[in-house]
Amino acid sequence: MNDKSTWEFGTRQVVYGAIGAALYGVFSWATNIFPLPAAGNVTFRPAVAVLIFFASAYGPLVGLLAGFIGNTLGDALSGWGFYWNWSLGSGLMGLVAGLVMASIKDFRARGDIIKAVGYGIAGIAVGMLFASVTEKFIGGLDWNTALIGYFTPAFIGNTVVVVILLPVLMIAFAAVASRRGR
Amino acid sequence: MLVTWKYRLRDTFIQRLDPRTRLIFMLSIIFAITIPDIWDYRVILPLFLLALTLYLMAQIAWKDVKRIWMFIAFLVFFIVGLNGLLSGRGGPSSVTDMVSPILFYIPIKIPFTDIGWDVPITVAKLWFSLTQMTRMITMTILALPIPYTIDPNMYGTAFKRMGASDNVSFTMDLAFRFLPTFARDLVITMDAQRARGYEMDKLNGGLAARIRKLAPLIIPVVMQSTVTGEEVIDAMDLRAFGTAPRTWLKELHYQRRDYLMLAFGVTIFIVCCVLKWGFGIGDFLVPDFFTNLFV
Repeated sequence: MNDKSTWEFGTRQVVYGAIGAALYGVFSWATNIFPLPAAGNVTFRPAVAVLIFFASAYGPLVGLLAGFIGNTLGDALSGWGFYWNWSLGSGLMGLVAGLVMASIKDFRARGDIIKAVGYGIAGIAVGMLFASVTEKFIGGLDWNTALIGYFTPAFIGNTVVVVILLPVLMIAFAAVASRRGR
Repeated sequence: MLVTWKYRLRDTFIQRLDPRTRLIFMLSIIFAITIPDIWDYRVILPLFLLALTLYLMAQIAWKDVKRIWMFIAFLVFFIVGLNGLLSGRGGPSSVTDMVSPILFYIPIKIPFTDIGWDVPITVAKLWFSLTQMTRMITMTILALPIPYTIDPNMYGTAFKRMGASDNVSFTMDLAFRFLPTFARDLVITMDAQRARGYEMDKLNGGLAARIRKLAPLIIPVVMQSTVTGEEVIDAMDLRAFGTAPRTWLKELHYQRRDYLMLAFGVTIFIVCCVLKWGFGIGDFLVPDFFTNLFV
């Protein structure tokens, strides 16, 4: 399914980085139009599951690029502006999640799915923590606001989405990849 | 549902600037405020007015940004401003350390208990809250016009010319090109699923069930994209992508106005650093006129 060389950056990574970014951007934008109801300021972005999936399937560099560019695209489409720290946070989320790539043998196997979800959650923690903490320094927020107002809702919302949707994406990908033969 | 870029060609000074100038200038101002940790209104206010002037020069219609501004207002006033007013934390410690007249107390109670306390709202906290909101809005109005005023086709070229590698820049360029295709795929999939009885507007059940019910929409689009990816890789490999440095169809050249803006941005950054570290100007202070309003 992939060549397992974690840090390779060739045509495959360029193309899947771009595809992951475009999908992340499209789904972020779509859920801005059809927001999923949630509690408080917790929002659910299915796009995050797509990002973690691309990172798990194609590696950390694809995750980094898809996260950084995808977040920039989503913000550009929705008209939010360009917030480099949240884009970089999304990139880090993909980077950390992508570290699992080399250890995934079978996208259908329960153990591999759990591993991918675990790395995904670690990625969400690192990425959202980076964005929230930089927001503390840039916006002059206190630790409470940065961690409770920004990090916690982002972490909870993204984790729920990844736990539910990532296994479905991985199983579907296993079927597509076996049909395609590569 | 069509994917439409927020970008429109407008004959403005802002749009005539090189995209690199726009990004570097924005970062210069953000760093000018954050690296020397400026909290002095005498520095922040001129920067706010400068950012506001640039924002107005971009000539973005209110109807285009109304929704975004409502969200920003909520975030800045209710989450950041209110928190600053209550706690006075997040900025320099002088906000809570300095002796300042108390305006009133806000009683805060833990729900369903008798535990609570009265939070004093001081003049210093009120001024800090106003300063913090101005600081955030200054940076926001520099970032907000970017998607409205930079041609999406120029991002890849701009990043390349700012020092990113061919591969990274091409990824960015390709992502912008893929986007309308995947948005169209999403619409087609949505219509196809609706024809099969899938009702997106009526996602019933618990939270997990509602997220899971998005799968019929997400899976086909994502899986189709992985197949498309293989075809694109083949096409690019056949054209020997990555074997030699790329040339770019769109060229960027700095003009005189770009050099002036870049020099202006860098000067602001240097001035802020010199003011803070050379002259000790930039720390949080409450102006006398503001204190006199309340005493």
